[in-house]
Amino acid sequence: MKKILIANRGEIAVRVIRACRDMGIGTVAVYSECDRAALHVRLADEAWPVGPSAPRESYLRIDAIIDAAKRSGADAVHPGYGFLAENEDFAAACRDAGLIFIGPSPEAITLMGSKTAARQAAIKAGVPVVPGTEEPLSEQTPDADVLKVAEGIGYPLMLKAVAGGGGKGMRMVSSPAELPAALRAARSEAQSAFGDGAVYLERRILAPRHIEVQLLGDHHGTVLPFVERECSIQRRHQKVVEESPSLAVSPALRRQMTSAAAAVARTVGYTNAGTIEFLLDSDGSFYFLEMNTRLQVEHPVTEMVTGVDLVQWQIRIARGERLDLDPESLLVPRAHAVECRIYAEDPENGFLPSPGRIQGLRVPQGPGVRDDSGAYEGGEVPIFYDPMISKLITWGENRDHALARMKRALAEYEVRGIRTTIPFFQWILDDDDFKAGRFDTTFIDRKLGAPGSGPLQVIDASHEELAMVAAAVHLFTRSAAAAPAAAPVSVWKQTGRAEALR
Amino acid sequence: MTFEMAAGNAAHTVSVTRKGALLHVAIGGRTLVVDARRVGDMTLSLLVAPEGAAALVQSVDVSLAAQRAAGDFDVHVAGRTIPVQVRQAGGFGRQKTAGAAVGAGPQRIVAPMPGKIVRVLVAAGDAVKARQGLVVVEAMKMENELRAARDGRVREVSVREGQSVDAGAMLLVVE
Repeated sequence: MKKILIANRGEIAVRVIRACRDMGIGTVAVYSECDRAALHVRLADEAWPVGPSAPRESYLRIDAIIDAAKRSGADAVHPGYGFLAENEDFAAACRDAGLIFIGPSPEAITLMGSKTAARQAAIKAGVPVVPGTEEPLSEQTPDADVLKVAEGIGYPLMLKAVAGGGGKGMRMVSSPAELPAALRAARSEAQSAFGDGAVYLERRILAPRHIEVQLLGDHHGTVLPFVERECSIQRRHQKVVEESPSLAVSPALRRQMTSAAAAVARTVGYTNAGTIEFLLDSDGSFYFLEMNTRLQVEHPVTEMVTGVDLVQWQIRIARGERLDLDPESLLVPRAHAVECRIYAEDPENGFLPSPGRIQGLRVPQGPGVRDDSGAYEGGEVPIFYDPMISKLITWGENRDHALARMKRALAEYEVRGIRTTIPFFQWILDDDDFKAGRFDTTFIDRKLGAPGSGPLQVIDASHEELAMVAAAVHLFTRSAAAAPAAAPVSVWKQTGRAEALR
Repeated sequence: MTFEMAAGNAAHTVSVTRKGALLHVAIGGRTLVVDARRVGDMTLSLLVAPEGAAALVQSVDVSLAAQRAAGDFDVHVAGRTIPVQVRQAGGFGRQKTAGAAVGAGPQRIVAPMPGKIVRVLVAAGDAVKARQGLVVVEAMKMENELRAARDGRVREVSVREGQSVDAGAMLLVVE
């Protein structure tokens, strides 16, 4: 494998480029019109245009991407996550074009990508599943029939896109009256995000934790599970904070859950990286939720506590190498890691997307900090894609240490010109229940919706005063420096002169 | 140089004068002595102390980002992002009056960001209740339902389903 095309954008494309570079493998980026100057394009060895900015016309265009791979002479394709990562037609098209798809087989994607077929695979492996529909409900299924099926499962229930992921096309339904509207919204969202409006229903487990197990499988029959990730901190069913290990998982439970995850993967002959998601009930019983047949957004927390480079292993597995990691060491976390997903959204304004130009950027550094980002100073956050701009990961000797470092790193992190979810994470990190590990998947929506919950940022009068002093000093020194300059002179020179005159 | 400023609930008149190598900033009835170094286009390192203090020790690292409206900044200070508005003398008085008038009058629903109109849930003439969904805008792959702030009647709908809209575009009016 000499050259890999990365069929993605943003931070994950950058992450894959870095793994390739670590291994001495050439990289090919693809880009849409608005991404011409994106970080992944700037960092790659080669970059090929694949179409206009709308995802359907570029990053979801299988033909355009295969064409770019062939013309660039790439011998393999890494799909990242999202876009075509879980599209069996894309995996098959790569295979047909003689390209190695760095991921599972098209057959495994088809099987585990259908949430109903995946449930059957889990049942076959002897792993418990959440009660729900065994067959998908197509877009043509009349509301009345869906209501009838829902009756049999019981409320509250979850309505989910069969092709779903990332919280898209998912709704909670508490009563029959809510079902038609939720169905309409879920189908429309699923259709636009995945091109498939089919949905299914599942009983809602009240107050569960979302625990998932990372797996790697090679082409020689080895499947290895990793220590769990805790992903219960979600907003609108979208993970926002992840950590490893979970406070709720004892070593004995870890054995059970990781064995169950590996059993499901072995049942379907799974290869490359994948993740089994479970719901963990408060009584310690757990249920198979779904399998993600790709690299996960939150893979860095696993890397931080095991020392394994998952993307590098994806590539090694794809080129036929044996998975010779020590299985025991993957189940014993070294230290604790936590990740915050930094989104270009304004948390003080209903999390409205906040696209635009990043006027300034200060990235946190120092002990125990990792920033996986697709952003740079002067770069644009386009309106067309998922608004995640970076993943901030910290690790420490234990959970408190990792969280203290996260708090420090968030305070250092400045993204100027757009609004981000950084204040939201600072608010979570100050919450006593979060600090004590007392939470479930409803935590964020409950806390945000709590009566009397004020703004997320605690800003006292001294901060406001400092902000005003800063703005005044900025305007004063800028105008003082600019006044004598007739010709364009750099600010540095102006400042230097102003200082020399004092 | 004097500015009128507002941040959060506080509004102040802020004056800056140069005294040798230092700046004196008068705010809220007291004066702060500031040693300011510009370390970037929009980034300053400040050492701050109240006038008369023995030494300038409080180190404040600040960055500013200009916002869409002239004179509005996001100030990044002490790990927080604080919106600050700077106006000419008397500027806030006029603005407040205008704001109050808008609050009582018709409610204009505008696109909070560029996007596509997925669904229009009401028609001109419809009576609507507070928090009732009016229009669904898709942006950045999420559907966002815009709702009525209070009870009223739809006066006009300016968009149709499938239409692309810019940030700030008027979508409909409820009165």
